[in-house]
Amino acid sequence: MTDPSETTTAAIKPRMPTRFLRIPIGGRFRATLVDAESRGGPRRGKINIALWLSVGWLALVLAGAVLAPWLGFLEDPNRPLAGDPELGPSWSHWFGTDQLGRDMFARSVWGSRLSLSIAGPAVGIGVVVGGVLGVMAGYFGKWIDLVVSSVVNVALALPALVFALFIVTVLGQSYVNVTIAVTVLSIPAIARIARAQALRFAAREFVMVAKTMGARWPRILFRDVLPNVVPALASIAFLAMGIVIIAEGSLSFIGVSVGSPSITWGNILAAGRGRLEESPHIALTTGGVMFATLMALNFVGDELLRRLDVREARI
Amino acid sequence: MLRFIGTRLAQLAVVVLVVTLLFYWMLNLLPGNPCVAAFGGAATQEQIAECEQDRNLDDPVIVQWAKWGGDVLTGDFGKSYLTGRTFGEAISNALPRTLLLLGYSQALALGAAIPLGLWSGYRQDSVGDKVVSGGAFALLSSPVFVVGLVLILVFAVKLDWFDLGGYRPISEGLVAHFKVMFLPAVTLAVGLLPIYLRLLRTDVIGTLQEDFVGTARAKGLPVHRVLLTHVLRPSSFTLLTIFGIQAAQAVNGAIVVEYLFDLDGVGSLLVSWVAAREYLLVQTLVALIAAVFVTVTALVDVVYSMLDPRVRRR
Repeated sequence: MTDPSETTTAAIKPRMPTRFLRIPIGGRFRATLVDAESRGGPRRGKINIALWLSVGWLALVLAGAVLAPWLGFLEDPNRPLAGDPELGPSWSHWFGTDQLGRDMFARSVWGSRLSLSIAGPAVGIGVVVGGVLGVMAGYFGKWIDLVVSSVVNVALALPALVFALFIVTVLGQSYVNVTIAVTVLSIPAIARIARAQALRFAAREFVMVAKTMGARWPRILFRDVLPNVVPALASIAFLAMGIVIIAEGSLSFIGVSVGSPSITWGNILAAGRGRLEESPHIALTTGGVMFATLMALNFVGDELLRRLDVREARI
Repeated sequence: MLRFIGTRLAQLAVVVLVVTLLFYWMLNLLPGNPCVAAFGGAATQEQIAECEQDRNLDDPVIVQWAKWGGDVLTGDFGKSYLTGRTFGEAISNALPRTLLLLGYSQALALGAAIPLGLWSGYRQDSVGDKVVSGGAFALLSSPVFVVGLVLILVFAVKLDWFDLGGYRPISEGLVAHFKVMFLPAVTLAVGLLPIYLRLLRTDVIGTLQEDFVGTARAKGLPVHRVLLTHVLRPSSFTLLTIFGIQAAQAVNGAIVVEYLFDLDGVGSLLVSWVAAREYLLVQTLVALIAAVFVTVTALVDVVYSMLDPRVRRR
């Protein structure tokens, strides 16, 4: 009830012929025909290159993370003096070395392994649980909606990191517990979007028709509503993945994620923070990889949402 | 209206009660004696007994929780057994820093987002809009700690324009204060800016289609007047809502930023208490933060319903 955009999604918004006149207020008087489809829909050419770049980068990072133990050219990330200490990036050490002479490229790749193996399951579980809760709330309404929406709204209004900190402290710093903490945090945002989508499709004519023809709710839910919500959830999964990677990164940056012998992007950056003056490449290379990955995730997610015409995407 | 406020207040109370009870229950799951942990392993028998008495450890969870609630309501927030500092002392030292940090960063973020958002919505799809939107998208993908590290590297280490290494109050001089606070505020603002900007831009594009914009333009108002008075005003609802939601995000960022810049604010306090296993203090602080946030959201709702009567009718 706090969000004004919910009113627009709740009301039946017929997909009107989207051509209308844009009243020009600029100095130049130009009556432009604005086509919402062309503004929101896929733009050919440039966008596609960027999209494929993003997908390619994600595939590369994923391959690196999965195959890290079997990549022959990759140094052992924990071997000291793989090169001289604190070398800048070079051909033999792409990302340079840290103060112990460990190879930073290998550490980045191994860091992605842990970061992604936390984010993957977290988002997977988050989408299933959040999706089920959201769709039920959106389709059935009444008290289910009341309960789900109020929990979601409260959860979204609280600072998530505070609670992740709390969960991890109480349960202990292990892989499973960090994953639990970030999963719990991803559920409300996903449930909220699933709810909005379900609400939108529950009001559509084909659902009404199914009801008049005497279909029962499981059939309507699984045959009519769910297939329309799933694509949106799939694209949200990309955005959620980015959020979860940042959350885990923040936790390990402040030293509250999985314990210290494990390598994560966050603790590489935390280590790089102390060496900014002497060897800035430690923070910059891993920071760059992280940034590129998040950017690619956001880009793919955003592009999918745009193509699927999902409103109330990211907040 | 009164009824609306009443409902929100009731919700507020329920949330704080449920959240704290949940925490008490979770703390109870912890293995070991929290009082032994609180002294870091070096405590006499009497100290532990006193602490156990203090925290009512012999009572069932719900009674412990009720007694804790009573203490908090009467202003007794507990103390650190390790350092002997009370909760109040620690917070009164840290809170101003965090509030200043949040205030500066919100001001920077809104100050940049409003003109940029208005302009790029008005000049939709122009080269400038593409640059602004692309930039916002890139910022949205940058975690605070990466942004902070880059800013420190460029402006504090290489150029040496700003100071690192601890907070300085305004009383030590405005220049010293801002030399310390500017980078943290910018770091935090960078996370908030793209969210405000993108939202405002979408809103502006929608509002520009309205008839009243054409009318305003037709009666001869200059473009900037139309944008500032007619277009920005309906968007202020959206900004207000998102402000309430983003406040929580800002605190997430503040924890990391305070850690990164050694500011010793509320976030740093929380992290250090977590590290020292001061569970009771962590619990009290988290409950207070939860209460503050639910209050902020409720306030936003109330202000919102004052501005826009349609909300109340739903």
